[in-house]
Amino acid sequence: MVMKTVYVGMSGGVDSSVAAMLLLEQGYRVVGVYMKNWSRDLPGMKCPWAEDLADAKRVAVKLGIDFLVWDFEEAYHDKVVDYMLDEFRRGNTPNPDVMCNQEIKFKLFYEKAMAAGADFIATGHYARVEREIPLFEEHIFRRGKYGATEPRNDGREGAFREQRVFSLPALLRATDENKDQTYFLYRISEEALAHTLFPIGGMMKPDVKKLAKERGLHNAYKKESMGVCFVGEVGMKDFLKEYIDIQPGEIREIESNRVLGYHEGAVFYTIGQRHGLYISGGLPYYVVKKDVANNIVYVSKNLNSDELWTDELRLRDILLRQFDGDFLRDGVAFARRYGESAPHTSVVTSGSPQKVPSELPSHEIQVRLRHRAPLIPVKFDGEVLHFDEKIKRPASGQSAVLYDGEICLGGGIIA
Amino acid sequence: MIYLDHAAATPVDARVLRAMEPYFGEKFYNPSAAYLPAKEVAADYEAAKGTIAHAIGAKGADIVITAGATEANNLALSAVSLDGSCRPFSSPTSQGSVGDPLHGRHPSMLYLVTEHDSVRRVAERYGGQGIEVLPNGMINMEDLRGKLSDEVELVSVSLANNELGVIQPLAEIAALIREVRLDRMRRGVRRQLLLHSDASQALNLLDVNVARLGVDLMTMNAAKVYGPKGVGALYVAHGVRLKPVSVGGGQENGLRAGTENVPGVIGFARALELAHEHLNGNRKKYAEWRRILLSELEGYELINRKHCLDNFVVLCYNGIDAERLVFLLEERGVYVATGAACAASKGVRSHVLAAIGLSDSQIAGSLRLTLGETNDEAQIHEAARVINDVVKAEWDRLSGIKASHSWFF
Repeated sequence: MVMKTVYVGMSGGVDSSVAAMLLLEQGYRVVGVYMKNWSRDLPGMKCPWAEDLADAKRVAVKLGIDFLVWDFEEAYHDKVVDYMLDEFRRGNTPNPDVMCNQEIKFKLFYEKAMAAGADFIATGHYARVEREIPLFEEHIFRRGKYGATEPRNDGREGAFREQRVFSLPALLRATDENKDQTYFLYRISEEALAHTLFPIGGMMKPDVKKLAKERGLHNAYKKESMGVCFVGEVGMKDFLKEYIDIQPGEIREIESNRVLGYHEGAVFYTIGQRHGLYISGGLPYYVVKKDVANNIVYVSKNLNSDELWTDELRLRDILLRQFDGDFLRDGVAFARRYGESAPHTSVVTSGSPQKVPSELPSHEIQVRLRHRAPLIPVKFDGEVLHFDEKIKRPASGQSAVLYDGEICLGGGIIA
Repeated sequence: MIYLDHAAATPVDARVLRAMEPYFGEKFYNPSAAYLPAKEVAADYEAAKGTIAHAIGAKGADIVITAGATEANNLALSAVSLDGSCRPFSSPTSQGSVGDPLHGRHPSMLYLVTEHDSVRRVAERYGGQGIEVLPNGMINMEDLRGKLSDEVELVSVSLANNELGVIQPLAEIAALIREVRLDRMRRGVRRQLLLHSDASQALNLLDVNVARLGVDLMTMNAAKVYGPKGVGALYVAHGVRLKPVSVGGGQENGLRAGTENVPGVIGFARALELAHEHLNGNRKKYAEWRRILLSELEGYELINRKHCLDNFVVLCYNGIDAERLVFLLEERGVYVATGAACAASKGVRSHVLAAIGLSDSQIAGSLRLTLGETNDEAQIHEAARVINDVVKAEWDRLSGIKASHSWFF
């Protein structure tokens, strides 16, 4: 058997370190790669990249694997940072991690790794890939499971399944529900996912830590990786100040339109936010609306304000995942062939969003509106999410990620 | 554990620690206070400064205590443009009169290209120009001579480089500086010319007499000589004007306000005393250990061949990634540095190794071993053995990769 090569994205943290170690134990040829996406220090904040790099390299050396540094700074700036700043300027609250996965880790890194001779890429994400055909088996590269005359799963009449294709794997939620990161991964391409391994996706975080300690990788024991690729929650305000021209403006009460105070810049505020209004006394105020054009932040004391609650959410940039194949879960085979008469058909390929036939979501699916937020039952008509009960309105620019049980169906950006 | 990174940090000598201890407890008083016990502490502090000064042939009044070498370097370089002729960043028209030969010309300074960042980064602010080094790391005197224009107010050359241990001919440089000063006087050019030297790495291994070296400003650091971290000193020759690090209560001749770090200075003084007692013995010992390493290590290229501190061994394993060696050695309990520890952790190539003309792959393969008081001869033999082992393993791994590649393609 030819030894398969995996390029592992190593951040220096415990998750990707254990991922690399597990792959090595599973018999892969493993190459560690540190993706250098951002190295600029910000005022009062030292960018940890060099330390992270050294930590990642130390682990690679201990494992005895090759280690490379790939510089994606330019692309990261163009695809992730610029996107993020544009969104903020429009008054949205973007999620750069989603974009980083879509454009950098599961695109640039994937492409570069494959070009370098990788069979797979891997990361330390908590997520799982469900493939109908086990890895390493010879027929993985043979014709599709349903034979040469099987209709393609893209719904085109008369088209035939090509030979030597992967069946499209599904993205599944992690075993450790508390750490599940599919919220950040729902936009990665099917092609990349088909070549991706998530070695720790089936593990519980405490077990990952324990394993790291047992195998002497406890130097990879560090702070949890930060919420945002490079700035962290705390640093976002300072970061935006560096890049966006910010003017102070009025804080008005939505009911009375009275000016209650002043803010540093509307872009800093998120709907539903409670802090940082510099208004003293009495009940707390909540941000209920932002008028970015006029730089006004509207607040309300009323937690039941209509602005804060909704039973509908319109999505944009919708991306529904395409996957097919018979998956075996808990000994029971079930078919998921999206594009045929599966429970809810979505025939949209990554990057070319199309409307989902409206009759298809026959049963309720779930949506997640923030990383680690609970799953909420929802109906989706292809453009708008419909909730049975009112939910607290999430910030525009964040992602709404759809699930059918543990399968990630894709999602969209909250308009 | 075998620690071979004494240029990065040294443990505090037990005798130093003992000397410091009372000043954390029973002698905790603020030296500025009026009552007798505080005055005694003040006296001890001044005596300690005297000891530090004595070690370099100076008087206590010439010493400004700082929080380490970086601060001392920053303070030293503030001398540029403070002789009253002009100020940094001011508009050219505000400088001097029209008849002045320097009218409209900014002051500047020179520094050796291999200086530590705490000199280089400050020098950049003053429009500093780098002086080239020769391939052996020594200053290029011709380059210095050529760059000593009338704008230059200060020249900064470390006594011994922190990455290579190369010792610079300070006395020779000082002689040239004196020559230029005289020439300026003859021509009526009224601009100061000062010589600063960062002696942090050499304090316990070389003669650091300021008169013999001919320096006007000299940086010292306790942490490199088995004293506490966060304590340094700047020797300031009489008449040199500096810009205060901090203002407030007027301590350190008004150059660095703030309550004195009494235990730190007591420790620094004791560390320097000990260093002087053992100066010659240590040099002989380190020279012998260096010889052992060079004869027992295999397959290396020696980077710092001569004119260097006896405890510095800088090697290059061309084709190997030395940072991998650091991690492999760490697993075997041997602690070493690649180039400069600081440079490695910042993820940038060493500017020092580049300045002496090493190729990228030579720089990547460079290992810095700095010997010191935590070592003994048995450790040196053992270190050589472990390093040979690890280097061989790394070569094996690399040839394995090559073999597997040739199998694939």
